[in-house]
Amino acid sequence: MKIGNVLSPPPASLRAAAAAAAHCRYPYGPWPHHPILAVSHNHITAFMQQQQLPARHDKMENRLPLSPHHILHAGCRNAKVSRLKAAFWESIRSGFMKNNTIQVTESPSTIQEEEEMLPDEFVLVEKTLPDGVVEQIVYSSGGDVDVYDLQALCDKVGWPRRPLSKLAAALRNSYTVAALHSIRKSAGEEGSADKKLIGMARATSDHAFNATIWDVLVDPSYQGQGLGKALIEKLIRTLLQRDIGNITLFADSQVVEFYENLGFEADPEGIKGMFWYPRY
Amino acid sequence: MLIFNNISIPLRTPLVLKATPRRNAVVLAQKQQQQQQTLTALTNLTISDEALASRGFALHRTINKLNLDHLNSVFVAVGFPRRDTDKIRVALENSDALLWIEYEKAERPVAFARATGDGVFNAIIWDVVVDPSFQGIGLGKAVMERLVNVLLEKGITNIALYSEPRVLGFYRPLGFVADPDGIRGMVYSRKQKKKR
Repeated sequence: MKIGNVLSPPPASLRAAAAAAAHCRYPYGPWPHHPILAVSHNHITAFMQQQQLPARHDKMENRLPLSPHHILHAGCRNAKVSRLKAAFWESIRSGFMKNNTIQVTESPSTIQEEEEMLPDEFVLVEKTLPDGVVEQIVYSSGGDVDVYDLQALCDKVGWPRRPLSKLAAALRNSYTVAALHSIRKSAGEEGSADKKLIGMARATSDHAFNATIWDVLVDPSYQGQGLGKALIEKLIRTLLQRDIGNITLFADSQVVEFYENLGFEADPEGIKGMFWYPRY
Repeated sequence: MLIFNNISIPLRTPLVLKATPRRNAVVLAQKQQQQQQTLTALTNLTISDEALASRGFALHRTINKLNLDHLNSVFVAVGFPRRDTDKIRVALENSDALLWIEYEKAERPVAFARATGDGVFNAIIWDVVVDPSFQGIGLGKAVMERLVNVLLEKGITNIALYSEPRVLGFYRPLGFVADPDGIRGMVYSRKQKKKR
């Protein structure tokens, strides 16, 4: 039985991605009237109603199932969004591509980033594939994770199967569930879009002092691009913004370095993680 | 070291538990092998409830009647920073399980522990404290054993905690293992961020 987090990006490509990302920042801000997000809302709404998400002990409590307008209000930075949007399309049109996979644009300075509220959902990365299909990687912290998608993703990374009902309960009882979805849209077509869960991380908490991050996973075919790093960074920001001061996790030995690079310290002041009769 | 004369001997009891409705309901839902394991743990309390009661200690499993200022002073007495009692209340209300021992004569909490988690897979135990004047008589062990039992009854077998180096020896006899299989506990530190 695997305990803790299992995220094993190949070290070499992670370093490369980290180097590439060093001077890049993720695009910031959602698309207010994006047809793709609009289309997928019915699915999200249906799932959320079915899940009967618990009331959250913060502003998010009043959040209704996602709507494009709502995302805009959550972000509330129209000017910046349209500026970024313009920059985006500019860079795509000019054929700016660092490598085959990632296309990231500069966003405003880090200081600004840290002070502003993180919206519930926004686009992390956008790229145009060779066949003209546009793919967006969307981060969301609203917990809109389909439990069947999650189980399929867990299978993909090789985790042992867990009962669906328990998975659903675990998601419900988690303080924050952050997810990465890939949304693919054929060039020129408005309408149908492919939405796929490609990453997730969740945190349990007492809503006041401590939070613990569990179940961090990224689809193997999307690993090595810095997405896991982005996922955790944004999750941390979400937690810090909710005033949770102590963020902890348990890391398998091969990913300790990954989390150290994100600002985590192993055994701080000699404090040790202990498990009750662990089964190896 | 225990000052109690009648130590309850762990019995290999048959599958008849002390009658508490929620125990029965949850236990029935588990697999047979896991049931065996957890039941063995469930019956093995070093100090029985009766022994505690006869020494003037009352066990509590809810925050009802818990004076948070008294609890806060126990936290401070063992070296925790003083925290806002409103925040403590929120934390306790959002904990999966908690247990505290009251010294009836003083009507004050003298031992405490709580656990947070997702209610199905994982649980982390926090804030394990025993008032310094009451340490060394088995109260910490009593609270921990029972808290673990509560979590096991819910079917949670992945139970973890963060231990200061000087109390590793307290947790080990309770069945806790440090860094199993190379897993490391990590904490986010805002101050130290590696240059990326």
